Amino acid sequence: MMRFAAVRRILGVLIAAYSVTMLVPAGVALLYRDGQALHFVDSFLVTLTIGLVMWLPVRSTQQELRRREGFLIVTLYWVILSAVSTLPFHFSPHLDFTDAFFESVSGFTTTGATTIVNLDKVPKSILYYRAQLNWLGGMGIIVLAIAVLPLLRVGGMQLFKAETPGPMKDEKLTPRIEHTARALWAIYVGMTGLCILGFWAAGMNFFDAVCQGFATMATGGFSTHNASFGYWHSPMISAIADVFMFLSGMNFALHYIALRKGSLRAYWTDPEARVYVGFIGASITLVTLTLLLTHTYSSFGAALNYGAFQVLTVVTCTGFVNTDFTHWPVFLPALLMMLAIVGGSAGSTAGGMKVVRVQLAVKQCVREFRRILHPRAEIPVKLGRNVLPERVVSAIWSFLAAYVLVYLLFMLILLGTGMDWDSAFAAVSACFNNMGAGLGMVGSNFAHISDAAKWTCSIAMLVGRLEIFTFLVLLTPMYWRR
Amino acid sequence: MQPRVIQRILGLLLMVFSFTMLPPAAVGWIYGDIGVRPFLDGFLVTLGTGLILWWPARNVRRDLRLRDGFIVAVSFWVVLGLFGAIPLALAAHPHLSITDAVFESISGLTTTGATVIVGLDVLPKSILFYRQELEWLGGMGIIVLAVAVLPMLGVGGMQLYRAETPGPIKDAKLTPRIAETAKALWYIYLGMTVACGLAYWLAGMDVFDAVAYSFSTVSIGGFAPHDASMGYFNNPLIEAVAIVFMLLAGANFGLHFFAIRRRSLRPYLEDSEFRTYFTVLAVLAAITVGYLYLTGHFGGFGDDFRHGLFQAVSIGTTTGFTTSAYHQWPGFLPALLIFASFIGGCAGSTGGGIKVVRFLLLLKQGGRELMRLVHPNAQFAVKIGRRPVDDRVIDAVWGFFAAYVATFSIIMLALMATGLDQVTAFSAVAACMNNLGPGLGSVGENFANLNPIAKWLLCLAMLFGRLEVFTPLVLFTPGFWRR
Repeated sequence: MMRFAAVRRILGVLIAAYSVTMLVPAGVALLYRDGQALHFVDSFLVTLTIGLVMWLPVRSTQQELRRREGFLIVTLYWVILSAVSTLPFHFSPHLDFTDAFFESVSGFTTTGATTIVNLDKVPKSILYYRAQLNWLGGMGIIVLAIAVLPLLRVGGMQLFKAETPGPMKDEKLTPRIEHTARALWAIYVGMTGLCILGFWAAGMNFFDAVCQGFATMATGGFSTHNASFGYWHSPMISAIADVFMFLSGMNFALHYIALRKGSLRAYWTDPEARVYVGFIGASITLVTLTLLLTHTYSSFGAALNYGAFQVLTVVTCTGFVNTDFTHWPVFLPALLMMLAIVGGSAGSTAGGMKVVRVQLAVKQCVREFRRILHPRAEIPVKLGRNVLPERVVSAIWSFLAAYVLVYLLFMLILLGTGMDWDSAFAAVSACFNNMGAGLGMVGSNFAHISDAAKWTCSIAMLVGRLEIFTFLVLLTPMYWRR
Repeated sequence: MQPRVIQRILGLLLMVFSFTMLPPAAVGWIYGDIGVRPFLDGFLVTLGTGLILWWPARNVRRDLRLRDGFIVAVSFWVVLGLFGAIPLALAAHPHLSITDAVFESISGLTTTGATVIVGLDVLPKSILFYRQELEWLGGMGIIVLAVAVLPMLGVGGMQLYRAETPGPIKDAKLTPRIAETAKALWYIYLGMTVACGLAYWLAGMDVFDAVAYSFSTVSIGGFAPHDASMGYFNNPLIEAVAIVFMLLAGANFGLHFFAIRRRSLRPYLEDSEFRTYFTVLAVLAAITVGYLYLTGHFGGFGDDFRHGLFQAVSIGTTTGFTTSAYHQWPGFLPALLIFASFIGGCAGSTGGGIKVVRFLLLLKQGGRELMRLVHPNAQFAVKIGRRPVDDRVIDAVWGFFAAYVATFSIIMLALMATGLDQVTAFSAVAACMNNLGPGLGSVGENFANLNPIAKWLLCLAMLFGRLEVFTPLVLFTPGFWRR
């Protein structure tokens, strides 16, 4: 039987805790006197009440959470927190529920797609609130990616079970997750601080530095300006963003190990990190060269500045832009959308399929070639020095196939709502990969698509963030059976 | 690697193939059109080349081995594709460039049915007949490839069918087995063609059209001697005949073989691939017809039903006949139909795409993954019918799927680099790699207006799709050439 009381209890606590974070933008509102403070306090009270109402009746339950409840909690965590986060958006900039939900989901899943047309005119507190949504979402995702998904064994992520910092106990979720969370959040907070300092030193004002710092570390992509990073016209700022996007697209467990051992070896010896670096290097080279060959930019410096930034922002699924890449020549816009499908490393805040899965798929293909030539040979698939168990391999394959099928399904639905092909392809790429930047009708924002399309995109963001199977498993009758 | 054996086989193939240029010459002579010469020239060049290849190696009596199989399979389509282009390139009308002639010829032999010729209705009958014949011959090759060769080469999980292939089973010796299988299946293929042609004729086509359309129907090709394809006749009876034969030709020919030998329909009903094939097409047709009806596209349920059903079967089986400009249909329908062509026909048929059985295995695997999430310690087997499927086969199917998607994306990006827009590029690769034929966007009607580089890339896509990606790719691995 599903242990609903335990599920309610933990969700209630999470919501109540989350409500407190709405007081921060209230403070920002007071500081900048933009008149939004009361709205945030109202939202705080409503959210706190919801949390308490859920928690109080079941506060003394003795039920222990098991693996199985994990799927439900993770899914509801993103759905409910996104739903309550819509509250402040009602007051200003007067988004309706569809838009507000889209915006919250986009923030919470660190997608970064927006339905707000003119960001430069939005009150400061709202801008801050959006950045904070990204940042808090990122905190949740790190724990999800490093501690929860490996335990739930979603999409082959049990691969990382041994590497997760913290004690190993399969059936009891809570202590392990708490330990992991504390270690990784320290790193996350520290890196965010550095990123903010970097932006500030490079010439952003303090408010912008904090907001972009939040959105960068979370690979979120919410910006405080319509032009995103194009607003500053500063290669220096772009370069700082490059570095921090690159770092936050890596497995946070690696950062943890590197810090604890005080050495960079953890990065060099990790097979995924090496492919991640190689993949980004190759993509930057390809994009920069194409930009030069097509004379889009005259100087190598400019091509590299824009090329590297755009590659990093899509590979890590951040979704900032520092130039209008939607009008780049030939295949570049489509290529960038496809890079987002590969995505960043497992165990990071990035989206997409994740590098390690693509890497394993390639290895498997190579093995197929060898098996065709040597039908009787036993050829194991290895990651680093470890031979992969058959279960991990088949879980990854299912994930990849499900990814492609769900991608096409979302695209069909969007085409059905009246979007054109390019926009639909890009919108799914932007949302399903939690990337945020699109092409065509969704090139600069998602404000002008139909409500049906917005809901589809919101669901795509959630399903993408929950790595498909966490969500799909809830739809099977078997899950609810005892 | 035994270059001499391969040389002998290719020589023989070319000599046999050269004779297929004589029937179109005869057609040209009967209808009195100008197009007799190119076919005779093509015949002589091909026969000559075949002789030159074969003569020095005629006494080599060694057996073909596994690795030679890959080279023969690839060169069958590449070499015949190139030589098949000769009459098209030489003909004065239509005046095709080398690129166009090769594209048309490969499109025929891979039973794709994408065309670069506009104005089919005014072409000489000999050329029209030749195009149809290319598809029909391609279909013959594909049946043998799909039923006998690929299972033995172990490409993309097709070893699944190794035990089911009609004919004696000897893994190492390819030739006797292939000869045996080929004979059995070609009789069925021939019989279906005759039945199809007769049915078309009875339904109202003239003799030439009946023969021409029957060739491209049973080969799941899709070439037509009219620009309007099947829509030329505007005859529901003809469309019904086409639907039946497309459905039959998209099923595993091994099944037809067993059904005929046992004189019973049970092999079809018991085969889970066939059931899935039928279900997928039924669902696709239902959605298509339903959506056309809801949007009032043809303004009446009769027409919605007729066009929707025809297009769903034609594209779902990767034939590519059209009765209506489906690329201008409303909403998601064009995309849905193109996506459906990825599933394609059954393994062991003349259809394209990734094949129904692979799609079925992918779904079953996905289902098993969900069950494993809920019950992590239980053992679940993936089964086809009642038999559990070997893990190796499943691995191979996954590998195939990933290679298919990767090849698709690379060719698509390359096409966009030549200046095509995304819809055109996506659907052109889908139409060619799935051996479907018509696409969307600027390749909705034909491929004439593409640039030459794009056409060559699409030739590659057709070959990769037809040879199931791994067969040509394996030739590029260093391991293949090492002894």
